[in-house]
Amino acid sequence: MNHNQPSTACFRRSILLSQGLLALFTAVVVFLDIRCQWFWEWSFDSGILGTVRQSDKYLFLGCLFGCSLPAYVLLYSMHILLKRVQHGSVFTPENVRLLRTVSLCCFLAALLCLVSGLRFPVLLVITVAAGFVGLIVQIVKNVFQQALCMKDELDFTV
Amino acid sequence: MAIIVNLDVMMAKRKIGAGELAERIGITPANLSILKNQKAKAIRFSTLEQICRVLDCQPGDILEYAEEAEK
Repeated sequence: MNHNQPSTACFRRSILLSQGLLALFTAVVVFLDIRCQWFWEWSFDSGILGTVRQSDKYLFLGCLFGCSLPAYVLLYSMHILLKRVQHGSVFTPENVRLLRTVSLCCFLAALLCLVSGLRFPVLLVITVAAGFVGLIVQIVKNVFQQALCMKDELDFTV
Repeated sequence: MAIIVNLDVMMAKRKIGAGELAERIGITPANLSILKNQKAKAIRFSTLEQICRVLDCQPGDILEYAEEAEK
């Protein structure tokens, strides 16, 4: 029996909810990648991008696909992380590595949006949001690293 | 590690096996093995107390400080 594994129904429901939301986010990213043409036209017509020309389309699509790559890596990392937490292995070097990957993906997306934000100012909001989330995950990663050292100490306390 | 655990010596003196000792002091054989093989990073006072009680000895009979060689 794994003593690290909470057996409450609440924990299982929480994990299930997180997995469901993860699947939803993945579906949204896949949808935006497949319907990128529609997304550009909708953004252009609705005017949320500000004053842009049709010729800015490729910059917009480049930003969209550029952000998709870290998004897929991030979603996959979070999926693995959730699986590992579900099975009771929380404070492990592998999870620290996954959190570092998630954090780097957020910073990469923030950087891409920052560059595109020079042309589409609305993307600066995503830059700030992604950068902030990246920072939070980075701090959580540091906490996990510290907890890993403490767990190691505790495991060898008789 | 500068602290040496001489549990083997005391166990041999008292003629007690690892399984029996682990059971009588209330820890798992795996944890006793960690202690015996000098892999433990810390020992609880409660565990030390139980070891001393079962082996009828003093903490100094089990734990020894040795100067570490300079790296």
